[in-house]
Amino acid sequence: MYTKIILMALAVWMTAGFHATFAQSMSGKEIIEEVYYRPQGDDQESSLTMTLINSRGDQRVREIRQFMKDLGEVEKSIMFFTSPADVTDTSFMNWSYADGSDDDQWIYLPSIRRVRRISSDSKTDRFMGSDFTYDDLGDRHPDDDTHERLPDETIDGLDCYVVESKSKDPDYLYSRTVTWIDRETLIGVQKEFYDRDGDLLKVLTVKNHEHISGFDIITHSEMHDVQRDHRTIMELNDVQINTGVSENMFTERMMSRGL
Amino acid sequence: MSSILNRLLAYPKVVLFAALLISLFLGREMTQNTRMETNLDEYMPQDHPAFIYSDQAEEWFGIKDGIIVAVSHEESIYNPATLDTLRSLTERFRRMDEIGRDDVTSLYTAENIVGSEYGLEVKDFYTTVPESEEALRSLRKAVEDNEMVHGRTVSKDGKVALIIAEIEDDVFTLEFYEHILDVCAASETEEIDIRVAGRPIVEGTMALLAPADMKRMLPIVLVLIVVSLWVMLRTAKGTVLTMLVVLFSVIWAFGLMALLGIPIYAVTTLMPVMLIAIGVADGIHLLSHMQLFRQNNPGAGKKEAIADMTGHMWKPVLMTSVTTSVGFLSLLTSEVLPIRYFGVFTAFGVMTAMLFSLVFIPAALMLVGLPKNKPGRKTREASVHPMAATLTRGVLKRKYLSILGAAVIIVLSLIGMQRVWINSSFLDKFEQDSDIVQTDAYINEYFGGTTNLNLVLDAGEDGYDVFKEPGVLRLMDQLQEEVESELDVVGNSFGITDYLKRMNKVMHEDRESYYTIPETREMVAQYLLLYEMSGDPDNLNRIVDYNYARGNLTFQLKSDNSIAIHSVLDAINRYEPDFNELGVELNYAGSGYKGLVFTDLILEGQIKSLVISLVLIVILLSLMFKNIRVGLIGAVPITITALIGFGVMGFLNIPLNTTTALLSSIAIGIGIDYAVHFLQQYRVNARNTGDKYLTAQKTMNHTGRAISFNAIVVIAGFLVLLFSVFPPNRELGALVSMNMFTSFVGTLTIMLVLLNKTRLFFRHNKTARDN
Repeated sequence: MYTKIILMALAVWMTAGFHATFAQSMSGKEIIEEVYYRPQGDDQESSLTMTLINSRGDQRVREIRQFMKDLGEVEKSIMFFTSPADVTDTSFMNWSYADGSDDDQWIYLPSIRRVRRISSDSKTDRFMGSDFTYDDLGDRHPDDDTHERLPDETIDGLDCYVVESKSKDPDYLYSRTVTWIDRETLIGVQKEFYDRDGDLLKVLTVKNHEHISGFDIITHSEMHDVQRDHRTIMELNDVQINTGVSENMFTERMMSRGL
Repeated sequence: MSSILNRLLAYPKVVLFAALLISLFLGREMTQNTRMETNLDEYMPQDHPAFIYSDQAEEWFGIKDGIIVAVSHEESIYNPATLDTLRSLTERFRRMDEIGRDDVTSLYTAENIVGSEYGLEVKDFYTTVPESEEALRSLRKAVEDNEMVHGRTVSKDGKVALIIAEIEDDVFTLEFYEHILDVCAASETEEIDIRVAGRPIVEGTMALLAPADMKRMLPIVLVLIVVSLWVMLRTAKGTVLTMLVVLFSVIWAFGLMALLGIPIYAVTTLMPVMLIAIGVADGIHLLSHMQLFRQNNPGAGKKEAIADMTGHMWKPVLMTSVTTSVGFLSLLTSEVLPIRYFGVFTAFGVMTAMLFSLVFIPAALMLVGLPKNKPGRKTREASVHPMAATLTRGVLKRKYLSILGAAVIIVLSLIGMQRVWINSSFLDKFEQDSDIVQTDAYINEYFGGTTNLNLVLDAGEDGYDVFKEPGVLRLMDQLQEEVESELDVVGNSFGITDYLKRMNKVMHEDRESYYTIPETREMVAQYLLLYEMSGDPDNLNRIVDYNYARGNLTFQLKSDNSIAIHSVLDAINRYEPDFNELGVELNYAGSGYKGLVFTDLILEGQIKSLVISLVLIVILLSLMFKNIRVGLIGAVPITITALIGFGVMGFLNIPLNTTTALLSSIAIGIGIDYAVHFLQQYRVNARNTGDKYLTAQKTMNHTGRAISFNAIVVIAGFLVLLFSVFPPNRELGALVSMNMFTSFVGTLTIMLVLLNKTRLFFRHNKTARDN
C-alpha cells in the first residue's frame, strides 16, 4: 500500500518533472506544431452560432449546423444555415487540402436552387464575412512561418508559452502574430495579429473550451478587429466527436438536399 | 463727452503712447496667434438637424470627399505603362498619411464580380501588370463587361481611368495638395496625361487661395486709397492719420480675435475691406470739417481748430459708429458661427476706429501740428463752395426728379431681385478657363460627375432588413434610372441595387435579362451572404448599414451649383410618398448637400439681420434726433442702396453667395454714416440759419463734401479688386464701389429732398420759409 503510494507519487513527480524539463527546452516551432497537430478527432458535428458585431454594437447573428471530417489528405466540412430565415437552407462546403493547394468551395443558394463554386483566391479570405480568415481558424501550416519563443507569461491564471511567428512570405496578410498557449491543454488561448505595417490588427481570445469525448474543443472564441472595431463571436453547441460522420455527407447533392 | 475729449487733449503724448502700446501688443498677438480655419465643417452650425443627420450618415457609410486623379492615354489605358502608372499611383496614395489604406479606389483596387462556369467569383482586375496582348485584351473585356466599373472608374472609350482618394475634411493643406500634384506630375510621360480634381481640391484651393489673393490685392487697394485720400484732403498728415486709424482698427479687431483664440474664417477676410470702407469716413469727416473751419476762420490757432473739430464732430462720429455697429451686431441672429464672429468683431473694429478718430487724430495733430490748408480756396465771400451751391439748387429745384428716379430705381431693383439666385457652388467661384474648372469639365465629360449627392434612405432603427425587400430595392432602382435619364446633370448613381443586379446577372450566366433586382427577399439575402463570403464586406458598408435598415444612394453630378443640386433633389423627392409608404424616409448627406443648406442658412440669416438692423437703425436714429420721421428718412438711402445691390445682382446674373450676401451689410454700414452725418449737420445748420434752402446748401457744402471725398476714396481703392484673379473678389470690389456710390447719391438727393419736403428741425422757428 505504502509502496504503491510512493510509486505513484514518484510517477507523478517524474512526469511532471519530465514535462517541465521538456517544456523548458521546446522551441517556438515545436510548440506551434504541438498546437497544430493537437488531436481533435476525426469527425465532428456541432451547432455554430456566429455573431458579428460592428463598432456601433449592431449585431448579425447566424446559426449554422456543421459537419466536419478529416480524411487525411483532405479535410471536408459542410455547413447549413438554420437562421436567419431568409438564408435558411443555404449551405456551404469546403474542401481543404493537406498539400496546401487552394481550398475548393461550393455554395448552394435555395432561392435559385443551384450549387455554385466560389473561387477563393487565398486562405486569407474572410470566413463567411466574419473577422476570421480560414488561416485564423487553424488552417495555417507551421512551416509557413518562422517561430520564436518568448518568455512564458501567465494570463487569466493560465501558465502560457508565448510564441512569436513571422510570415516567410512578405506579402502575407500579417507581418507577425504572437500566440499565448496554455501549457496544460496546448490550446492557443490568445493571439495577436499584426498587419503588414506592423500595427496591431486583430486579437483572438478563447473564452471557453470543453473536454468532449477525450478531446479539448474550443467552444467559445472571439476575434476582435481592433482597426475596424468589429468583432466576431463563435460559439459551438451540441458538439459530438467521432460519431462516424459519413463521407457521403460532403457532396453537392447533400448541399441541395439540406438537413 | 466733449470735456473728456478736451481733457485728453491736454496729454497728447500719453494718449499716443497708450494707443501705440496697445496696438503693438495686439499686433504681436495677431501676427503670432492667428489661425486660419480651413475645415469647412467647422463653419456649419453643429446643432442644425440637416447637419446632424448628414454627419451621422457620413459616419454610417464612411461618406467622404474624394480627390479625383484622372490618368489618360491617347489611345487607351490598356497598355502596360498606363496600367503600371495606375498601380503605382494607387499604392503611393495608399501609403500617404493623409489617406486611409482602404480609401483609394481605382481599377487596380476594384473588385470584379464575375460569373464563370464555376459560379460567382470576386476577383481583382489585375494585381501584376499584364504584358501580353492577349492579357491586355481580356482585361479590357473584363472591364467593358462590368457595369460596376465601366464608365465609373474607366471611361467608356477606354482612354481615361480614375483614381479616387477619399480624405477626411480636415487634412487638406496646401503642402498636401502640392505633394499630390508633384507625385502626379512625376508619373506623367509623353503619352500619359494626369489631372487632379475633386471637391477637396476645389474647397481647399478656395480656402487657401482666396485669402492669398486678397492679401496680394489689399496693399494695392490701400495705396490707391492713400493716394486718393491725399488728392481729396490735400494733406499728407491727415492722410497718414486717417490711414493709421483704419490700420489700428483692423489690428485691434484681428488682435482681439487672436487673443481670444478665435480662428480666421473665410468670411473674416472681408473684415479689413469693411473696416477700411467704413473707417476712413470718420477721419475724412473730421479733417474735412477742420479744413472748412479754418477756411472760414483763417486766424484760428491749433488748439482752437482742434477743439472745434472734436466739439463739433464727436456727436456725429459717435452716432455713425453706434448705428453702424448695431447694424453689424444684428448678425448675431445668424445661425452660422463665423458670421456671428464677423458681426461682433467688425462692430468692435468700427468702435475702435471711432475711438482712434476722436482721440488719436486730435492728439496726433496737437503733437505734429495742423496740416497746411489748401491754398486759394478761402477767398470767396460766401462760405459755400459753388459746386455745393449748384448741386443743392439742382436737387431742390427738381425734387420730382429725385423722387421719380428713386421710385424707378426701386421698381427696377425689385424686378431685378426676382432674378437673384443663390449659388453654393465652389467651382463657380473660379475662372472659367482656370485649371480647376477645366479638369472638372474634362472628368465630367468622361465620367458620371465630380460632385456627389448622397441620398440616405432610412427605415429607422427598427427597420431591420428593409433593404433586402425587393419592393424597396425596385423602387430605388426605378428612382435611379429615372433621375439618371431625366436629368443631364446626373451622370451616374450607385447603391446596393447595382451590386444586386450585377450578382443576379452573373449568377444567371451573364444574361442581360437578369440585370434586375432579384425577385425574392431570400434571393437578395443569399446573394448578399455570398458576396460577404468572397468580397470585402467593407464595400457593402458604404452603401447599406449593418442592419439593412438604411441605404446610401450616391448620385454623381456634373455640376455643384445650387440649381443643379436642387433639380436633382426635386426629381428625387417625387418618390418620397412611395418610399414613405414602404416605411422609408428620404434624407440627404455629404458635402454638396451641406454646402447647399449652409448657403441657404447664411442667406436666411443675412436677410433676417438686414431687416433687424434696418429696424434698429430707424429706432436709434429716431431716438438720437428725437423724431421718428428722421429715423424713417435716414433709412431711405440705405434701403435703396441695399435694394439696388440685389437688383443689380439680379440683372447681371451675379448669384447670391456668402460673400455677396454679406456685402449688404456694407450698404447699411456706410449708407447710414452718410445719412447720420448729413442729418446732424442739417440739424445744426437748421438751428443756426432757420432757413431751409440755406440749411440745405450749407449742409451740402459741409457734409456733402466729406461724403463725396469718402465715396471717391473708397471707390478708387476698391475698383482695384476688379483686377483680381478670383471672380468673387472682383464682385466684391464692384459691389463695394457701387454701394458707396449709391449711398452717396442717395443721401445727397432723395434724402435731402425728403428732408426738405418736411419741416423737420424747423419746428420752433416760425420764420423759416419754404423753398
